[in-house]
Amino acid sequence: MTVYNLYIFDRNGTCLHYSEWNRKKQAGISKDEEFKLMYGMLFSIRSFVSKMSPLDMKDGFLAFQTSKYKLHYYETPTGLKIVMNTDLGVPNCREILHQIYSTLFVEYVVKNPLCSMNEPIQSELFCTKLDGFIRSLPFFSARAG
Amino acid sequence: MADNIFFEFLHMEMVDYVYKMDVSREEHEQVKMNAISTLENMGFRVGQGLIERFTKDTPSFKDDLDVMKFLCKDFWVNVFRKQIDNLRTNHQGTYVLQDSKFSLLTQFSNRKQYLLEAPRYLAYTCGMVRGALSNLGVDSIVTAEVSLMPACKFQVVIQRS
Repeated sequence: MTVYNLYIFDRNGTCLHYSEWNRKKQAGISKDEEFKLMYGMLFSIRSFVSKMSPLDMKDGFLAFQTSKYKLHYYETPTGLKIVMNTDLGVPNCREILHQIYSTLFVEYVVKNPLCSMNEPIQSELFCTKLDGFIRSLPFFSARAG
Repeated sequence: MADNIFFEFLHMEMVDYVYKMDVSREEHEQVKMNAISTLENMGFRVGQGLIERFTKDTPSFKDDLDVMKFLCKDFWVNVFRKQIDNLRTNHQGTYVLQDSKFSLLTQFSNRKQYLLEAPRYLAYTCGMVRGALSNLGVDSIVTAEVSLMPACKFQVVIQRS
Protein backbone atom coordinates (compact mmCIF):
# COMPACT_ATOMS: atom_id res chain seq x y z
CA MET A 1 0.00 0.00 0.00
CA THR A 2 1.76 3.07 -1.07
CA VAL A 3 1.71 6.47 -2.74
CA TYR A 4 3.72 6.73 -5.97
CA ASN A 5 3.68 10.39 -6.85
CA LEU A 6 1.82 13.67 -6.53
CA TYR A 7 1.23 16.54 -8.95
CA ILE A 8 -0.21 19.97 -8.26
CA PHE A 9 -1.41 22.05 -11.21
CA ASP A 10 -2.78 25.56 -11.19
CA ARG A 11 -5.70 26.86 -13.17
CA ASN A 12 -3.58 27.57 -16.25
CA GLY A 13 -1.93 24.18 -16.48
CA THR A 14 1.38 25.14 -14.93
CA CYS A 15 2.71 22.35 -12.80
CA LEU A 16 3.35 23.97 -9.41
CA HIS A 17 4.72 20.96 -7.67
CA TYR A 18 5.67 17.38 -8.35
CA SER A 19 7.15 14.82 -6.01
CA GLU A 20 7.51 11.06 -6.20
CA TRP A 21 8.19 8.40 -3.65
CA ASN A 22 8.28 4.91 -5.01
CA ARG A 23 7.99 5.32 -8.73
CA LYS A 24 9.67 2.36 -10.41
CA LYS A 25 9.05 3.19 -14.04
CA GLN A 26 9.42 6.62 -15.62
CA ALA A 27 7.25 7.84 -18.46
CA GLY A 28 10.03 7.91 -21.00
CA ILE A 29 9.49 11.56 -21.86
CA SER A 30 10.84 14.75 -20.30
CA LYS A 31 9.23 16.09 -17.15
CA ASP A 32 7.73 19.08 -18.96
CA GLU A 33 6.09 16.84 -21.50
CA GLU A 34 4.85 14.57 -18.79
CA PHE A 35 3.19 17.47 -16.98
CA LYS A 36 1.58 18.68 -20.16
CA LEU A 37 0.35 15.20 -20.92
CA MET A 38 -1.10 14.80 -17.45
CA TYR A 39 -2.83 18.16 -17.54
CA GLY A 40 -4.21 17.59 -21.02
CA MET A 41 -5.57 14.23 -20.02
CA LEU A 42 -7.28 15.65 -16.92
CA PHE A 43 -8.83 18.44 -18.91
CA SER A 44 -10.20 16.03 -21.52
CA ILE A 45 -11.47 13.50 -19.01
CA ARG A 46 -13.27 16.16 -17.00
CA SER A 47 -15.16 17.49 -19.96
CA PHE A 48 -15.85 13.96 -21.24
CA VAL A 49 -17.23 12.85 -17.90
CA SER A 50 -19.52 15.82 -17.55
CA LYS A 51 -20.80 15.52 -21.10
CA MET A 52 -21.50 11.80 -21.04
CA SER A 53 -22.91 11.60 -17.57
CA PRO A 54 -26.39 10.00 -17.61
CA LEU A 55 -27.40 11.99 -14.53
CA ASP A 56 -26.72 15.47 -13.21
CA MET A 57 -23.36 15.37 -11.57
CA LYS A 58 -22.04 17.12 -8.54
CA ASP A 59 -18.34 16.38 -8.35
CA GLY A 60 -17.45 14.91 -11.68
CA PHE A 61 -14.24 13.06 -12.24
CA LEU A 62 -12.85 11.56 -9.02
CA ALA A 63 -10.41 8.79 -9.86
CA PHE A 64 -9.45 6.17 -12.39
CA GLN A 65 -7.99 2.76 -11.84
CA THR A 66 -5.74 0.51 -13.90
CA SER A 67 -4.42 -2.97 -13.21
CA LYS A 68 -1.43 -1.52 -11.35
CA TYR A 69 -2.28 1.90 -9.95
CA LYS A 70 -5.08 4.27 -9.11
CA LEU A 71 -5.07 7.95 -9.93
CA HIS A 72 -6.96 10.23 -7.54
CA TYR A 73 -8.03 13.70 -8.56
CA TYR A 74 -9.20 16.69 -6.54
CA GLU A 75 -10.02 20.13 -7.85
CA THR A 76 -10.57 23.16 -5.66
CA PRO A 77 -13.10 25.86 -6.48
CA THR A 78 -10.17 28.11 -7.36
CA GLY A 79 -9.01 25.80 -10.11
CA LEU A 80 -6.10 24.18 -8.33
CA LYS A 81 -5.78 20.50 -9.30
CA ILE A 82 -4.18 17.90 -7.09
CA VAL A 83 -3.42 14.48 -8.58
CA MET A 84 -2.11 11.54 -6.62
CA ASN A 85 -1.12 8.11 -7.93
CA THR A 86 -1.36 5.32 -5.42
CA ASP A 87 -1.50 1.59 -5.58
CA LEU A 88 -4.76 -0.28 -5.78
CA GLY A 89 -5.38 -0.97 -2.11
CA VAL A 90 -6.05 2.67 -1.30
CA PRO A 91 -9.65 3.79 -0.75
CA ASN A 92 -11.13 7.12 -1.71
CA CYS A 93 -8.61 9.91 -1.17
CA ARG A 94 -10.73 12.99 -1.54
CA GLU A 95 -10.48 13.96 2.10
CA ILE A 96 -6.73 13.57 2.07
CA LEU A 97 -6.25 15.66 -1.04
CA HIS A 98 -8.51 18.28 0.46
CA GLN A 99 -6.38 18.25 3.58
CA ILE A 100 -3.25 18.70 1.50
CA TYR A 101 -4.84 21.76 -0.01
CA SER A 102 -6.14 23.34 3.18
CA THR A 103 -3.44 22.55 5.68
CA LEU A 104 -0.37 22.57 3.46
CA PHE A 105 -0.91 24.54 0.30
CA VAL A 106 -2.90 27.37 1.83
CA GLU A 107 -0.69 27.62 4.90
CA TYR A 108 2.70 27.44 3.32
CA VAL A 109 2.23 28.71 -0.20
CA VAL A 110 -0.69 31.07 -0.26
CA LYS A 111 0.29 32.68 3.00
CA ASN A 112 3.90 33.05 1.97
CA PRO A 113 4.38 36.42 0.28
CA LEU A 114 7.59 35.24 -1.31
CA CYS A 115 5.85 32.45 -3.21
CA SER A 116 4.24 34.02 -6.23
CA MET A 117 1.01 32.50 -7.46
CA ASN A 118 1.08 30.63 -10.73
CA GLU A 119 4.75 29.81 -10.52
CA PRO A 120 6.35 26.54 -9.46
CA ILE A 121 6.60 26.36 -5.70
CA GLN A 122 10.04 27.19 -4.37
CA SER A 123 9.35 26.98 -0.68
CA GLU A 124 11.35 24.18 0.94
CA LEU A 125 9.08 24.32 3.96
CA PHE A 126 6.15 23.29 1.78
CA CYS A 127 8.09 20.38 0.30
CA THR A 128 9.22 19.18 3.69
CA LYS A 129 5.77 19.39 5.22
CA LEU A 130 4.18 17.68 2.24
CA ASP A 131 6.70 14.89 2.37
CA GLY A 132 6.10 14.43 6.09
CA PHE A 133 2.36 14.42 5.59
CA ILE A 134 2.44 11.80 2.85
CA ARG A 135 4.78 9.59 4.79
CA SER A 136 2.49 9.74 7.78
CA LEU A 137 -0.52 8.52 5.83
CA PRO A 138 -1.79 5.16 7.04
CA PHE A 139 -1.52 3.62 3.63
CA PHE A 140 1.97 4.77 2.83
CA SER A 141 4.83 2.33 3.22
CA ALA A 142 8.32 3.07 2.03
CA ARG A 143 8.69 -0.32 0.37
CA ALA A 144 6.40 -0.42 -2.64
CA GLY A 145 3.83 -3.12 -1.89
CA MET B 1 -13.33 33.77 11.56
CA ALA B 2 -11.49 35.63 14.22
CA ASP B 3 -8.00 34.66 13.29
CA ASN B 4 -5.13 36.77 12.20
CA ILE B 5 -5.45 35.92 8.55
CA PHE B 6 -6.83 39.29 7.47
CA PHE B 7 -3.96 41.17 8.98
CA GLU B 8 -1.41 38.66 7.63
CA PHE B 9 -2.57 39.04 4.06
CA LEU B 10 -2.83 42.81 4.38
CA HIS B 11 0.66 42.95 5.82
CA MET B 12 2.05 40.85 2.95
CA GLU B 13 0.48 43.15 0.40
CA MET B 14 1.58 46.24 2.26
CA VAL B 15 5.21 45.18 2.21
CA ASP B 16 5.02 44.30 -1.49
CA TYR B 17 3.31 47.58 -2.29
CA VAL B 18 5.80 49.73 -0.44
CA TYR B 19 8.68 48.01 -2.22
CA LYS B 20 7.11 48.28 -5.64
CA MET B 21 6.44 51.98 -5.14
CA ASP B 22 10.06 52.74 -4.46
CA VAL B 23 11.67 50.41 -6.95
CA SER B 24 10.36 52.42 -9.83
CA ARG B 25 12.33 55.41 -8.65
CA GLU B 26 15.75 54.93 -7.12
CA GLU B 27 18.94 52.97 -6.51
CA HIS B 28 18.72 49.56 -4.89
CA GLU B 29 20.21 50.25 -1.44
CA GLN B 30 18.43 53.54 -1.14
CA VAL B 31 15.18 51.81 -2.02
CA LYS B 32 15.51 49.27 0.72
CA MET B 33 16.07 51.92 3.36
CA ASN B 34 13.13 54.04 2.22
CA ALA B 35 10.79 51.10 2.12
CA ILE B 36 11.82 49.91 5.54
CA SER B 37 11.39 53.35 7.06
CA THR B 38 7.96 53.73 5.45
CA LEU B 39 6.86 50.43 6.94
CA GLU B 40 8.36 51.33 10.28
CA ASN B 41 6.54 54.64 10.39
CA MET B 42 3.26 52.94 9.57
CA GLY B 43 3.86 50.56 12.43
CA PHE B 44 4.77 53.45 14.70
CA ARG B 45 1.43 55.14 14.29
CA VAL B 46 -0.44 51.87 14.71
CA GLY B 47 1.54 51.00 17.81
CA GLN B 48 0.69 54.33 19.37
CA GLY B 49 -3.00 53.74 18.86
CA LEU B 50 -2.91 50.13 19.98
CA ILE B 51 -1.16 50.86 23.24
CA GLU B 52 -3.77 53.51 24.12
CA ARG B 53 -6.43 50.90 23.68
CA PHE B 54 -4.70 48.10 25.56
CA THR B 55 -3.70 50.16 28.59
CA LYS B 56 -7.09 51.76 29.03
CA ASP B 57 -7.70 49.97 32.29
CA THR B 58 -4.26 49.07 33.58
CA PRO B 59 -2.55 51.03 36.33
CA SER B 60 0.50 53.08 35.41
CA PHE B 61 3.87 51.41 35.11
CA LYS B 62 6.55 51.62 37.75
CA ASP B 63 9.58 51.62 35.50
CA ASP B 64 10.96 50.63 32.13
CA LEU B 65 11.22 46.97 33.00
CA ASP B 66 7.54 46.93 33.85
CA VAL B 67 6.74 48.53 30.54
CA MET B 68 8.78 45.92 28.68
CA LYS B 69 7.10 43.11 30.58
CA PHE B 70 3.71 44.48 29.64
CA LEU B 71 4.84 44.60 26.04
CA CYS B 72 6.05 41.03 26.11
CA LYS B 73 2.96 39.64 27.74
CA ASP B 74 -0.28 41.51 27.21
CA PHE B 75 0.59 43.51 24.13
CA TRP B 76 2.14 40.61 22.23
CA VAL B 77 -0.73 38.31 23.18
CA ASN B 78 -3.29 40.78 21.94
CA VAL B 79 -1.58 41.32 18.64
CA PHE B 80 0.08 37.96 17.87
CA ARG B 81 -1.83 35.58 20.12
CA LYS B 82 1.23 34.47 22.02
CA GLN B 83 3.75 35.88 24.44
CA ILE B 84 7.34 36.76 23.82
CA ASP B 85 9.36 33.70 24.74
CA ASN B 86 12.37 35.37 26.24
CA LEU B 87 13.18 38.85 27.51
CA ARG B 88 16.77 39.78 28.27
CA THR B 89 18.20 43.03 29.49
CA ASN B 90 21.49 44.49 30.49
CA HIS B 91 19.75 46.79 32.93
CA GLN B 92 21.35 49.70 31.13
CA GLY B 93 18.43 50.36 28.85
CA THR B 94 18.88 47.61 26.26
CA TYR B 95 16.28 44.86 26.01
CA VAL B 96 16.18 41.88 23.69
CA LEU B 97 12.79 40.28 23.02
CA GLN B 98 13.00 36.81 21.58
CA ASP B 99 10.09 35.19 19.81
CA SER B 100 10.78 31.61 18.85
CA LYS B 101 7.85 31.33 16.48
CA PHE B 102 7.03 34.76 15.15
CA SER B 103 3.60 34.54 13.62
CA LEU B 104 4.37 36.60 10.55
CA LEU B 105 7.30 34.35 9.70
CA THR B 106 6.02 30.83 10.33
CA GLN B 107 4.93 30.30 6.76
CA PHE B 108 8.22 31.28 5.18
CA SER B 109 10.63 28.53 5.87
CA ASN B 110 11.94 26.26 8.52
CA ARG B 111 15.52 27.31 8.45
CA LYS B 112 17.42 29.50 6.10
CA GLN B 113 15.45 29.75 2.89
CA TYR B 114 14.21 33.30 2.23
CA LEU B 115 16.45 34.68 4.99
CA LEU B 116 17.39 37.75 2.92
CA GLU B 117 13.83 38.86 2.45
CA ALA B 118 12.72 38.27 6.01
CA PRO B 119 13.73 41.69 7.47
CA ARG B 120 11.15 43.44 5.29
CA TYR B 121 8.42 41.64 7.10
CA LEU B 122 9.74 42.68 10.47
CA ALA B 123 9.96 46.42 9.85
CA TYR B 124 6.31 47.07 10.52
CA THR B 125 6.44 45.22 13.83
CA CYS B 126 9.55 47.14 14.90
CA GLY B 127 7.67 50.37 14.27
CA MET B 128 4.71 49.08 16.23
CA VAL B 129 6.89 48.36 19.24
CA ARG B 130 8.54 51.77 18.98
CA GLY B 131 5.14 53.50 18.75
CA ALA B 132 3.76 51.60 21.71
CA LEU B 133 6.77 52.54 23.81
CA SER B 134 6.68 56.15 22.75
CA ASN B 135 3.12 56.60 23.87
CA LEU B 136 4.09 55.15 27.23
CA GLY B 137 6.71 57.85 27.52
CA VAL B 138 9.69 55.74 26.54
CA ASP B 139 11.81 56.87 23.60
CA SER B 140 13.57 54.03 21.92
CA ILE B 141 15.15 52.55 18.86
CA VAL B 142 13.91 49.14 17.81
CA THR B 143 15.67 46.80 15.44
CA ALA B 144 15.04 43.19 14.52
CA GLU B 145 17.15 40.33 13.39
CA VAL B 146 16.48 36.85 12.11
CA SER B 147 19.01 34.09 11.95
CA LEU B 148 16.88 30.97 11.94
CA MET B 149 13.25 31.10 10.99
CA PRO B 150 10.72 31.33 12.44
CA ALA B 151 12.55 32.67 15.49
CA CYS B 152 13.44 36.30 15.61
CA LYS B 153 14.81 38.88 18.04
CA PHE B 154 13.73 42.46 18.57
CA GLN B 155 16.27 44.73 20.18
CA VAL B 156 15.02 47.79 22.04
CA VAL B 157 17.50 50.46 23.06
CA ILE B 158 16.02 53.09 25.32
CA GLN B 159 17.12 56.65 24.59
CA ARG B 160 17.69 58.74 27.63
CA SER B 161 17.62 62.45 26.95
